[in-house]
Amino acid sequence: MTALTDATAPVAGLPATGAARQVWRRLRTRPAALVSAAVLLLLVLLALAAPLLAALAGQDPHAYHDDLVDSARGGVPYGSFGGASADHWLGVEPGTGRDLFVRLLYGARISLLVALGATVVQVLVGLLVGLAAGLGNRWVDATLGRITDVFLALPFLVLAIALTAVVPRDFPRPLLLILVIGLLGWAGTSRIVRAQTLTLKSLDFVAASRLAGSGRWRTARRELLPSLAAPVITYAAILVPTNIVVEASLSFLGVGVTPPTPSWGQMLSTAQTWFRADPAYVLLPAGLLFTTVLAFTVLGDAVRTALDPREAGRLGVGTRKETSR
Amino acid sequence: MRHSSVISRRVAAAAVSVVLASGAAACGPEDAGAKGGTSGKAAGAPQKGGTLTVLNNEAQSDFDPARLYTSGGGNVPSLVFRTLTTRNREAGAAGTQVVPDLATDTGRPNKDATEWTYTLKEGLKYEDGTAITSADIKYGIERSFAAELSGGAPYLRDWLVGGDTYQGPYKDKKGLASIVTPDARTIVFKLKKPEGEFPFVATQTQFVPVPKAKDTGAKYEEHPVSSGPYKVVKNENDGEHLVLERNEHWDPKTDEERKAYPDKIDVKSGLDEAVINQRLATSSGADAAALTTDTNLGPAELAQVGSDKALAARVGTGHFGFTNYIAFNPKVKPFDNPKVRQAISYAVNRTSVVNAAGGSALAEPATTFLPEQKAFGFTPYDHFPAGKTGNPEKAKQLLKEAGYPNGLTVTLLHSTAQNRTTSPEIATAVQEALGKAGITVKLDGQQPNSFNEKRWSVKDAPGFFLSRWGADWPAGGPFLAPIFDGRQIVTNGSNYNHAQLNDPAVNKEIDEINKLTDHKAAAARWGALDKKIGEQALDVPLFHPVYKQLVGKDIKNVVISDWTGVLDISQVAVK
Repeated sequence: MTALTDATAPVAGLPATGAARQVWRRLRTRPAALVSAAVLLLLVLLALAAPLLAALAGQDPHAYHDDLVDSARGGVPYGSFGGASADHWLGVEPGTGRDLFVRLLYGARISLLVALGATVVQVLVGLLVGLAAGLGNRWVDATLGRITDVFLALPFLVLAIALTAVVPRDFPRPLLLILVIGLLGWAGTSRIVRAQTLTLKSLDFVAASRLAGSGRWRTARRELLPSLAAPVITYAAILVPTNIVVEASLSFLGVGVTPPTPSWGQMLSTAQTWFRADPAYVLLPAGLLFTTVLAFTVLGDAVRTALDPREAGRLGVGTRKETSR
Repeated sequence: MRHSSVISRRVAAAAVSVVLASGAAACGPEDAGAKGGTSGKAAGAPQKGGTLTVLNNEAQSDFDPARLYTSGGGNVPSLVFRTLTTRNREAGAAGTQVVPDLATDTGRPNKDATEWTYTLKEGLKYEDGTAITSADIKYGIERSFAAELSGGAPYLRDWLVGGDTYQGPYKDKKGLASIVTPDARTIVFKLKKPEGEFPFVATQTQFVPVPKAKDTGAKYEEHPVSSGPYKVVKNENDGEHLVLERNEHWDPKTDEERKAYPDKIDVKSGLDEAVINQRLATSSGADAAALTTDTNLGPAELAQVGSDKALAARVGTGHFGFTNYIAFNPKVKPFDNPKVRQAISYAVNRTSVVNAAGGSALAEPATTFLPEQKAFGFTPYDHFPAGKTGNPEKAKQLLKEAGYPNGLTVTLLHSTAQNRTTSPEIATAVQEALGKAGITVKLDGQQPNSFNEKRWSVKDAPGFFLSRWGADWPAGGPFLAPIFDGRQIVTNGSNYNHAQLNDPAVNKEIDEINKLTDHKAAAARWGALDKKIGEQALDVPLFHPVYKQLVGKDIKNVVISDWTGVLDISQVAVK
């Protein structure tokens, strides 16, 4: 019984600003997390300021520079480090001579926008389905459970390719990518939310709220949602890097953003054959993709620890009680 | 008739793409002199003996002469199969000529070129020592009409009297009456209409002799009977691994074309293109005596090879008759307006396009539809001079005259295949150049299958798309007729006449040229026709590809003709 009270206390107390402050205090002591957060913040700022920085560099992401590439040698940029110069800070793209610095910046916009947008969709749909399954009756739970199973079992990439291929070309591609990745990838979130909801449902403070006469959705909103924040935030932090990679894969396969719009995946796709002749062209988008995914993963890990998943895990107490019965 | 012709068109397209995939590295006119007949590391005259290794990407999954498409069936089959006529096995432009193979000459036409007579050389034998007869050639052609052996070129079906209804020898034992064999060494072909280019078609593998007693139908490809210098001793995994050894009954005195230096040829396919090029570059062990017939160097690989002189000396250059172009469908607005089409012709920046195609070593800017080779009838013209980098001012002025003073927005269909011909890189280069002339281009990239379906459909073809064309043999006929002959507009199948041009004057001229048996005279007329059609701005020629292929360091006698564009195995020596 004491274990039960111990376990519920921090979780139930999460929504209070005190808990947030507590999480921040725990995060602050982890330098890796701070560095990751700083890197991500910088990336977002750079992406947002892309047009500004492009103007500063005096470059356009789509402008060709035929004079900067050696046509007789397959279009490899003149000069070293992929043709880096005072005008083109990170060099130019082989074959076209387009400026790599601004293309990387504009590419960051697409990659981050799509990844974050898709994560929001995944979390929202996952929350709704998970809550409905957890709170609904046997039939609702079973039906939603099977639907979730189907979405978990779907061959994601194949379906995403098919979907992006059939939608008319006029539909804005970044939005399409957000929707496709978001609506195909919510099943994991929904599973976690349902499991957590089932656990919380049997806890005293939820029962108390129900007894006090709150409706089902009011209970969900007031009592359950705040307690679900911890696992959902943790899971979202894992989803973001996954989504970045998915966007890159789709663009790599030619079904992502339409050219000439740059994205990291699209850049990697065209760069793959150049790794020996022009290493800079491959290393720049690959390095950025790696850094971003790593930063998100480290930060997500830190947030999870800060929210103390072990405590949340001990919520299994409720379940244990059920099984022991 | 319509139906069969539809199928054949489709097959033609497939084969054209196969030819492209098989790469091609033919010495171009300008390179021919420099590279000449012998290159590779090796000093000294080529010697007989040794094993040649072929490292290929695509397996030789068809080895039945009825099912192969190109002249001699390409490279490896041409070592096993002999045909009535064949390609002149010389580098560069000389290689575009048709020369006798099994026959004593390239064919004797009657007065109006509707009847062609061939006489076989004496002493021709199969790998089992039995004599090759004209009846075997007739039988070989007949079996190519059988439905189960489809895949060959459509020409015989369209040209031979009764060819459109003939079902092949398995169903119709009587045979094809339009092929007559008065004696064992004579064969006569009767055609529906004059075909001056018949000797070119006689290079295709449907003209390979097949002994009726040895025919096993669809299984014949497992062991085709050799008439050439090598016989197939091993064929594993549907052509993935082939071993050829000498055919002792092949008499070099009857074959002036095939040199047959190596004793053994080992063909390994199913390899990744990057791996093939890496292995050839390293040239260690058996790979020193290796080459590829279907893998070209890409732009990045070329950039690497360029910095290594020893490696650069092992690169063969080929010019295959091929044109990449922007196609217009004038049935779709605003491309019905010639001024809009002209404006786009002026606005195109061929330097960017060539760079997108892999740079000046892998592509040459094109202003004519015909490839830049005499055999095709190349006649230079540049009706809408865009210069090296485009003329956006002139384009803007034309747009204004066309009623678009504020520019216009159009959609360009292209494929998402990474082939550097109809791919996003080319489309983006076009988009960028047209943007400077006030033409906003939206890109519609489609998967290769749906891309082809769209561009080959009379009903659904958009107004503006990337396309390409390669020739079945080096002459103007197979280049211009499918693209501009109004009677070749196919409404219920694959249509290559993208502009849907049906001009009685053009049709008539095509018929007139087909009557010519003098290929030089015909070439001049094809060239003039190309120039004339060019005035209508029905397409924007972009570039002709150039093929670069690596060979192993022990390879001698590299011969690359302008006909195939592919290094010719029959000439190569490893000692």
